[in-house]
Amino acid sequence: MGFSTLIDILGSTIIGGILFMILLRMNDAAVQNTYNNGGEYIIQQNLVEVVQLLEYDFRKIGYCKVWSRIPNPSKAIILADSTSIKFLTDIDNNGYVDTLHYYLGPSGELSATPNPNDRLLYRVINSESAIGANLGVTQFRLTYFNSLGNTINFPIIVPGEIHTMQIDLKVENTSGYNREYSGAFWRQIRLAARNLMNR
Amino acid sequence: MGGKASILIILGFSAIFLVVGQNFNNLSVNSVDNFSKYYGKTVAHNIAVSGANMAASQIFFSNEWSTGFSNVPFSGGMLTTVVEVIDSFQNIKKLTTYSRYTGYNEVYLDTVSVTFQPSKFSRFAYYSAYEPSNIWWTTGDTVWGPMHVQGQLWVNASPVFFGKVTTENGLYTQGYYQTVEVGGHWETTWVKKKGKWVQEAIWVPEYQQVWVSTANPKFYGGYEQGVDLDLPVNGVSNVQTAALAGGRTFSSKDTVYLTFAQDSLRYRFSKNKKDTTVLGATFAPNGVIMANNSVLRVKGKVKGQYTIGVSGTSSKGKVFIDDDLIYNSDPRQNPNSQDLLGMVAQNDIMITDNTANNNNINIHASMYSQEGGFGSENYSTRPPSGSINLLGGIIQSTRRAVGTFSGSYINHGFSKKYRYDDRLMVASPPSFPGTGSFEIVSWYE
Repeated sequence: MGFSTLIDILGSTIIGGILFMILLRMNDAAVQNTYNNGGEYIIQQNLVEVVQLLEYDFRKIGYCKVWSRIPNPSKAIILADSTSIKFLTDIDNNGYVDTLHYYLGPSGELSATPNPNDRLLYRVINSESAIGANLGVTQFRLTYFNSLGNTINFPIIVPGEIHTMQIDLKVENTSGYNREYSGAFWRQIRLAARNLMNR
Repeated sequence: MGGKASILIILGFSAIFLVVGQNFNNLSVNSVDNFSKYYGKTVAHNIAVSGANMAASQIFFSNEWSTGFSNVPFSGGMLTTVVEVIDSFQNIKKLTTYSRYTGYNEVYLDTVSVTFQPSKFSRFAYYSAYEPSNIWWTTGDTVWGPMHVQGQLWVNASPVFFGKVTTENGLYTQGYYQTVEVGGHWETTWVKKKGKWVQEAIWVPEYQQVWVSTANPKFYGGYEQGVDLDLPVNGVSNVQTAALAGGRTFSSKDTVYLTFAQDSLRYRFSKNKKDTTVLGATFAPNGVIMANNSVLRVKGKVKGQYTIGVSGTSSKGKVFIDDDLIYNSDPRQNPNSQDLLGMVAQNDIMITDNTANNNNINIHASMYSQEGGFGSENYSTRPPSGSINLLGGIIQSTRRAVGTFSGSYINHGFSKKYRYDDRLMVASPPSFPGTGSFEIVSWYE
């Protein structure tokens, strides 16, 4: 065992070390990518779930199976704000009028999650207690338009003026690798609840 | 030794890459699948909505249309529409459209149901077949229920409409023309600079006259134009037919004086004669009372549901309201009130110029004037008479005056306090004239 052997061992150690570092980095990158991609898939799923629920509910504004119970559907929206809306509908299609209230909870409510922007989107039927699921909603914004297509300014005094609405929704990961939160955005440009315009 | 280690390292890395790659592939596929499902559901829904719209259009063109659609290819999918009568007495129809869209490895189905009922004129708070161009809807004017105007709605400033407003030809708003630059183009021209002619590009603006509306109408119940809904020519004759089939008809009488006295009705044919008193429910079982080729003078307290009509031309075919004509149970105090009155006249419906009407008049009714309008007799000469407190609606051919004013001061006649009877959205007086078409009352999707 001479000098050349020592050089061999040293060289092998350096090369082994480099390989090991590469391995560690690759492992880290693989974990990050897996985490981010998995997160993106989850937020896309969450987004589609929330969107389908919103579309299903909002299309039924002013609807009742026994239509004479909401004789004037243009009065079906009770309250309309930029982050909340309350309206009359028949959510279970049983002929009885229900009230449905959507609103965004405060951002401080989900302080336990790493994402500082996620908030609960509440969906409250009649006088049930408010229950929200954390799907990573960070933005839920409603913009309302009158029958001439003009934007209605807040506060909206007469909700009957609402003809169509725009819904903006953003969903983010509740926790992100290195605090990088990927997100997905959805916008319904003109949602027209058909019953609002019936009569 | 070194070779084996290298192979092991390569195999190890390959295994890791395979697992991670497989994971990424799955995520990508699932993500696409997720949105693909949303797309499929959306397309199926849009097909169903389109089918419902197409069928609704057919029903509006032909009330009797019940053919439906069967497996019609549409937007990459198929739609089937079924039309059924769910209430033959009230002629309430329901159309249901089923859609089918085949996406990637999955079939998406959706259903849209629409319910229709025959539309009655009584549901309007205000209807006018002809709006004179010198009468503007302006600030302070408020209509509380559905409204329709054939032709254009003349709007100045900011009137408020709480019900849905429909017009045949849109709005005519007060405003002014303004010249605005809408674009332009560059042109090359010869100009003399320092004694030399040179070419220079100059901007040639283009102008256009643009109408700037100063009106700001408030449509709190929606607005739609392009709705052609004329008064029918058989509105009065249909009431005549209903009166003959289970109601009561007065014929060959110059004037009929009719007083509602809760359960009873009193009538006479001459001003100074004695009234004949009858029980309303047996006198006109279906609630329709018609005076043919006559003048009808009415007042009293209505209990139950009635439509009173009058036909005739020239000085006949008019209704005169001689005194308060109100419901026995006011629906504003008692929402369960069943009292409902329709007045259907060939010509005008007028508030009589008499002592009883010189200090306010209360009218609870939906009024329909086929060739005239609702107004007050001698509106420009009668004394200031307070206000018309109307609960109901006005459906008329032409707008009539009820008084003359100087600012907010009444010189002659009445001021107007019209409120819509919300019950008219779901109920109508017996055999009240229909529009001849259906209206959508419920849309489920």
